[in-house]
Amino acid sequence: MRIARCLRLAVVLGLLATSAACGGGSDAGSGGKVELTLLSHYSDGPSKDGLDKMIAEWNKDNPKIQVKAQVVKFDDLLTTMTVRQTGGRGADIVSAYGLWGGQLMKANVVAKVPDDIATKIKAEYSPAALGAVTTGDTLLGYPTELNTYVLFYNKKILAAAGITKPPTTWAELADDAKKTVKRDAKGNIQVEGLSLIQDGDNKSVHPFLSLLDSAGGTFLGTDGTPQFDNDQGKAALKFEGDLAAAKASNTSISPTKQFRSGGVAMAIQAGWWIGSLKTQMKDKYASDVGVTAIPGPTPGSKGSLAYGFFMGVNQRSKHADEAWKFLTWLNEHKASGGDVTETGKWLADQGLIPPRTADQAEYKKSLSDPNLAPIYDAATYAMAEPNQPGAYEAKTALHNAIMTVLADGKNPDDALAQAAKAVKPQ
Amino acid sequence: MTTAVSRVGDDGMVASPARRVGKLHREGLAAYLFLSPALLFFCVFLILPFIFAIVLAFSDWGGFDLSTLKWAGFSNFGDVLSFDGTFVKPILVNTLLFAFGSVFLATFGSVLVAYCIDRLSFQGFWRVLYFLPVVATVVAIGNVWKMMYQPAGLINAVLNKLGVNSVGFLSDSSYALPAVTVVHAWASIGGAVLILTAGLKAIPEMYYEAAEVDGANSWHTFWSITLPLLRPAVLFVLITQFIGGLQSFALIIVMTGDGGPVNATNVAAFEMYQRAFKFGAWGTASAMAMVLFVIILAITLLQLWIARRRGEETS
Repeated sequence: MRIARCLRLAVVLGLLATSAACGGGSDAGSGGKVELTLLSHYSDGPSKDGLDKMIAEWNKDNPKIQVKAQVVKFDDLLTTMTVRQTGGRGADIVSAYGLWGGQLMKANVVAKVPDDIATKIKAEYSPAALGAVTTGDTLLGYPTELNTYVLFYNKKILAAAGITKPPTTWAELADDAKKTVKRDAKGNIQVEGLSLIQDGDNKSVHPFLSLLDSAGGTFLGTDGTPQFDNDQGKAALKFEGDLAAAKASNTSISPTKQFRSGGVAMAIQAGWWIGSLKTQMKDKYASDVGVTAIPGPTPGSKGSLAYGFFMGVNQRSKHADEAWKFLTWLNEHKASGGDVTETGKWLADQGLIPPRTADQAEYKKSLSDPNLAPIYDAATYAMAEPNQPGAYEAKTALHNAIMTVLADGKNPDDALAQAAKAVKPQ
Repeated sequence: MTTAVSRVGDDGMVASPARRVGKLHREGLAAYLFLSPALLFFCVFLILPFIFAIVLAFSDWGGFDLSTLKWAGFSNFGDVLSFDGTFVKPILVNTLLFAFGSVFLATFGSVLVAYCIDRLSFQGFWRVLYFLPVVATVVAIGNVWKMMYQPAGLINAVLNKLGVNSVGFLSDSSYALPAVTVVHAWASIGGAVLILTAGLKAIPEMYYEAAEVDGANSWHTFWSITLPLLRPAVLFVLITQFIGGLQSFALIIVMTGDGGPVNATNVAAFEMYQRAFKFGAWGTASAMAMVLFVIILAITLLQLWIARRRGEETS
């Protein structure tokens, strides 16, 4: 009898806990006023200021639908989303990295984009931006940030090594890297020839995928199966492995820290880096920094990777209609006195590519910095980063495989085969 | 009729069985009432999460929404324990090497330090000095050592002065795990020194006096008196350090970021964190937690069994 009572109590408590966890992600204010929450990683500097400005503008004109920004650092964004969503306190609008899209969709976090809005987005945004925020056939939300990978080079270091123009093929890239690398008597690298890593998560993957794209390869199929364990993949990884074996590339050197001081001759990096370099190098930026497309194995071939962010609506939001209304305004309203959207301007001001085709075209007409041209061009041919469920794990497996080649000198073919085995389509 | 089972109460009155049972019942209730905050805390923060983790270990769940939780049977354990995967090798192997390595270094170092401190003046000062790393945050410790390990850092500068080429302590997969293990052991010594110093103080002075009379030297005294009598404290240090070593991953996040290079510093706790919070694979993460739980339990029981066979007081 007592056991039965305890069991009943446990069931009631469990149900209460479950219902709390399944509660809505936002609160309705008093007097019919709706308060939407927007969780993003735009936590400081111009990214925060620009978004806050637009939200303040909306809040002023829409007293019945108020938007409140909630920010965390990018490194904490996915964890925060996970914890808050599970605890029933998810934001109404989420800004997320495209790579996470598949798992967020599988876990019922992001709501389906209404058909009319989806049709407009598909018509008005660039293929690279759409690809980075589409899982299978499902669009996850409005594309926001878009980044493409290009080759950054230090003009002075290349000139000092007798190189008059940036490389246009893998052979030239390898030669230039070997010519520019410098080591002291103890073997410490003074100048790295070509950096094949980037800061952040899975740091070796994006440069590798850019080279893979330049060779005509792909990362994952639409069903999540590995596509990189083939001739193109092996050629790209062998190219990287040869450079590491020749000590022209070294994974212990951080390009974001050492490029600015002349410690790296060339680096495969994302376009957002331009903004950082301008701030860090000041006057030396214009004289020292050059940007070109990432060359492919044959003359004329080139490649890049595009990754993006999106803003979508939480499936548990009690105010999905209001959230889409706000997002539509946020992404479509024009900047004052301009031909571009205010969101496009906000992104372009940070050195990012506006994902909307019309904004891109407008900005391309009058690029103040010639280094931006290859970054914008790459949006037309870059491989979109896959984002189906399991893509993040696949990316980590690939990163580990690449690092066994770059750091341990493992055979590229074996490394890719092992990575392909670790990829589990979901 | 009053029977022989009745007894005289504190107030001199004879208590009936019914009254006595009632009193015991009330006392029991009061005891549970006093214990209830601690029991509630224990249930909410330990028992319930543990049960939930067991459920998750047999489920496929991407996080966020409990309605998407699906029964997966033993497939998570199959994935985790598969020799084709990365969990058994290198991750579990790294975890054990990290734990055994740091326990060995920290225990050996702390016994040595505690023994030396016990023979020095200003013992309080030395204890504080060695305890400082325990007070410092893992982030601060990790970053300081990370800087020292850099190609242009202090340690490589010393090696260069000695004519040795720079070593990629954190970028070379052969050195990364030992490099992080040393830091973890160094940071753990302070706490162990405090426990061992207390253990040394508890050894009666007469044993040392008798040994001196018998002409024992310092080494004999240490080996035959100090170490055997210090064994309960050493055992406590061993068990706590080992469990801490198996569960530790904060230092690794700070020093190598992603458990690299090439999974060389990836340990079970970090992999669980990645699986759950990065990949949304809560089922696999929980299965890993269960495997680690069993390993910790088995090794702790083994340590206790060995100690009890030698007649140590372990409770």
